[in-house]
Amino acid sequence: MATTPEELASHKKAYTAVGISLGVLTVVTLALGYWHPFDLGVPGLDWTDITIGLVIACVKSSLVALIFMHLNHERGLIYKILLFTFCFFLGLMVLILFAWGNPIHEAFDAVRSSLS
Amino acid sequence: MEIPYEVTARRDTGLYNAKIGVWLFLASEVMLFGGLFSAYVFLRIGTQPGIDNPWPQGVHVQMVWAGFINTLVLIASSVFVVFAWVALKERKWNVFRNWMVGVLACSGMFMAIKAYEYNSKLTKHHDVKLADNTILGGTILKNEDGVRTDRIRFDAESVTVDFTGGIPGFASQIPEDDRDGLVFSYEDREGNQRELALDDLDSWFMDHRRQALRDIADKRAKQRDGTWDKEKDRDPFTKVTLNAPFRLNASPRKVGTRDETTLNFHDRTVAKGKLVDDTITLELHSINLQMVPLQDQENVMAWKLIHDSTGSDEVKENFLAVRDEKLELVRSYFHDGVIPVKTLQGPMINYHDIHEKPGEHGHAHGDHGEPAKEAHPGDHGSEEAAHADGDHGHGHDVVIEIPRDQTTFVTNHGPRAGTYYAIYFTMTGLHGLHVIGGALVLAYFLLFGKRLFLKNPEHLANRVEVGGLFWHFVDLVWIFLFPIMYLM
Repeated sequence: MATTPEELASHKKAYTAVGISLGVLTVVTLALGYWHPFDLGVPGLDWTDITIGLVIACVKSSLVALIFMHLNHERGLIYKILLFTFCFFLGLMVLILFAWGNPIHEAFDAVRSSLS
Repeated sequence: MEIPYEVTARRDTGLYNAKIGVWLFLASEVMLFGGLFSAYVFLRIGTQPGIDNPWPQGVHVQMVWAGFINTLVLIASSVFVVFAWVALKERKWNVFRNWMVGVLACSGMFMAIKAYEYNSKLTKHHDVKLADNTILGGTILKNEDGVRTDRIRFDAESVTVDFTGGIPGFASQIPEDDRDGLVFSYEDREGNQRELALDDLDSWFMDHRRQALRDIADKRAKQRDGTWDKEKDRDPFTKVTLNAPFRLNASPRKVGTRDETTLNFHDRTVAKGKLVDDTITLELHSINLQMVPLQDQENVMAWKLIHDSTGSDEVKENFLAVRDEKLELVRSYFHDGVIPVKTLQGPMINYHDIHEKPGEHGHAHGDHGEPAKEAHPGDHGSEEAAHADGDHGHGHDVVIEIPRDQTTFVTNHGPRAGTYYAIYFTMTGLHGLHVIGGALVLAYFLLFGKRLFLKNPEHLANRVEVGGLFWHFVDLVWIFLFPIMYLM
C-alpha cells in the first residue's frame, strides 16, 4: 500500500479522475434511459438499451472496485476469495434460466398429464 | 491485550487481519445481493404478459431525478472516503475530519431523499385496477371531511362481535372525533342491559373470548360424554351486538363482503347500518391498458368514467391516437410489420402525454414490450416526477369518480402493488440499511478516533480503509440498482 507522499499524491489524482468518470457515466446512463435521442435499437426499452445500460454499470463498478477498493494492486489471497465468490455468484445467475426455459412448469405439466 | 496484525501484515497472507475479515464479509454480501438481483431478473422475465400485473418501466413510475441525485451523492461520498483515508496516511487529522463530515452529510442526504421517495410512493401514488383489467394510476383524494376516498364510509347503528373470531379491528376505523366518549349498550348473557366504553373494548373482548372458548370446550366434552342437555345447558355465549351510532371509515382490506346495510369484517365482526359512500375519487395520472387486448381497448369502462367526469371523449381519442402512433413506430422496426407477441403488451400512457396530440411532440414515441420511453429532453419522464410534491406540472389533471364495485384491486405503490414494487422495496430497503450501518461505523471513527489517531495513526487508517471498503461496496450495489430500478 502506498505510503510515500508522491504515491499518495498520484492516488489523489486517480481518485478525483475516477469520481468524475463515475459522474459522467451516470449522466450517460440517465440519457440512455430517459432521453429520446439516446434511445438506441427499437423505440422504447429493448435489449440494446438493457445491454448498454448494464455494460456501463459494469464499467462503473469495475472502476470503484479497482481504484477505490484498491483491487488493482491487492494481495493474492483476496483475489482467491473473490474468485470463489464469483463462482457462486454465477451459480445464482444460472437460476435465472429457470424463468427462461420454464422447466418447473413443464415438469409439473408432465406429471399432471401422466396422472390424468 | 495486544491484538496482533492490526497494523502490520501477517507473513503468510501479506495482509493485516481486518482486511481479510472485511473481504470475507463482502464476499458474503455479494452473495446476499446476488441472490436478490437474481430474484429480480427471475421475477421480471417470468412475468406473464396479460396475466400478471405488468412490470412497469422505471422511468414511468419512479422519481428518476431522486435516483440520479442519490447516485451522484453516493459517488461523491465514495470519493470523500478515500480522501479521508489518504488524509490519515498523511497524518492530517483535520483534513480527515472534514472529508468524513462530508461522507456523513452525503449518507444523510441519501437517506432523506430515499425517505421522501418512499413516503411519496406510500401516500401519494395509487393504482386502481378495474374489473376489465385497466389499471388507472393517480392519487386517491380525500373527501370534504378529510377522509381518503378509498375508505368505505359507513354509518353504523350496531356492530356484532364474534368471540370466536379475531380481535375486532373496527375500533381503529372510527374517526377520531367520534371515538371520544363512545359508549356501546349491549345485552349480556343474563339479559341485563350493560354499557361498554370503546376504550375498554379490547380487554372486554379478551375476557369474553376466554369464557366463550371454555364454554365451547365444555359443550364438546359434554356432547362426547352424552351428558349435554339441550334444555338445561346453555349454548356458549359467542356473539354480542353492541349498539351505538357511529361513523366507520373502513379500510377495504379489513372488509370482506358488504352491501348497502352490512359490512362483514374479516375478523367476523358484522356492522349494520347504512353505506354512505363507496366511491373512490382519483386524480388520474396514467392509464395502463397493458392487460387489455388491443381490440378491446376502445371500450374499456375507464373511458366512460372519464367521460362522466369531463363530459368529453378527448382523453380517449388522444390516448388511442398516441397508442397507435407508438405501435406504428414499433411496427416499422420489424421488417414484416408484425410485432412479436412477447414484445407487445400494449401501452401504458401517462396522462400528460395524452394532452399532447400525436404530431405535436416534435418526435415520435415508441413502445417495445414495456412502456415507451419519454421523448424530449427536459420533459418530466416519470409519473411521479411529474406528480410528486404537488407539482402537477401540466395543469390538465382529471379527477374521476370510480364506484368500488367496478374495481378489483386498489393499492398504493407499496410492496403489494406488484412484484416490481415488492422487489424494489426489498432491494432498496436492504441497501438503505447498509447505508445506515456504514454511516454509523464511519461516524464512530470520526467521533472516537482522535485518541487512536494520536496513539497509532496507522491503526486508524487501516480501520478507515476497512470501513471505506464496505462503503464502496454499498456504492457499487447502488450503481446497479439505479439503472435496473429507475430506468429499465
